[in-house]
Amino acid sequence: MLTFVVLSVLMIVGAVGVITLKQPVHAALSLVATLLTLAVTYVTLQAHFLAAIQVIVYAGAIMVLFLFVIMLLNIQGDQPQPHFRWMQIVAYLTALLAAGAIAATAFLSPRELPNAELMSEALAGGGAAAIGEALFNDFVLAFQLVGVLLLTGIIGAVSLVQRKATQTAKDERELSGV
Amino acid sequence: MVATEYYVALSAIIFAIGAVGVLTRRSAIMIFLSVELMLNAANLALVAFARQWAAAGAAVALSGQAAVFIILAIAAAEVAVGLGILVAIFRYRSSTDVDTLHEVRL
Repeated sequence: MLTFVVLSVLMIVGAVGVITLKQPVHAALSLVATLLTLAVTYVTLQAHFLAAIQVIVYAGAIMVLFLFVIMLLNIQGDQPQPHFRWMQIVAYLTALLAAGAIAATAFLSPRELPNAELMSEALAGGGAAAIGEALFNDFVLAFQLVGVLLLTGIIGAVSLVQRKATQTAKDERELSGV
Repeated sequence: MVATEYYVALSAIIFAIGAVGVLTRRSAIMIFLSVELMLNAANLALVAFARQWAAAGAAVALSGQAAVFIILAIAAAEVAVGLGILVAIFRYRSSTDVDTLHEVRL
């Protein structure tokens, strides 16, 4: 229980940092902290492979992409919003209400956890072999579709940021001062 | 062992914080970071449910974790396209303030 309390405090502090810090780089680093804490939480839930993937893909690849774009575009912190002050208050209240309602619903119908032996037998520690078996038996179609989606996403991203050949040539001429 | 309810409550809190971020921040990149927070809250709930359903057998229990794996891949694709759009917008406007982005509308 102590582990859970420490992890959840760290995670909530990190998440609040994401939405309150002014500089995007600080917010992104705060999100990295939250994601790493989440990876540790996965270990406590017997999902070891997902914990590793969370660190490598999320805290590694995706957040590097975020930081890269933030630094590439040199985005500064956003200004306070004077004309939408009331909406901020409404947003905080609604979120508090929604989170409270979901948590209360969960606690109103508590369920017994299955015993530890059964749990570790069924989950097999959440290893790569166990997940792979589920992924390539019941989720083959989803797996293939995700592959197609990733390919489409990569092509889309490249075509969004690519410049036309004439534009690139013009920029290069300006840079070389001809 | 910590009961599943606590994990669901934590997931709800993280999701709500992410939703507040989407509603209150103006910079598109900050909204994006908040969306990532919401995706991860959903993942946490799925992993907690996977453990709760261990009594139903390995196939049922592990389908929760397999779903998280697929969500991770989708999040990666979403980030690639989203940041691409962000870079393309920034090239024309040198600002990512969503309040003034009315020409993105259909």
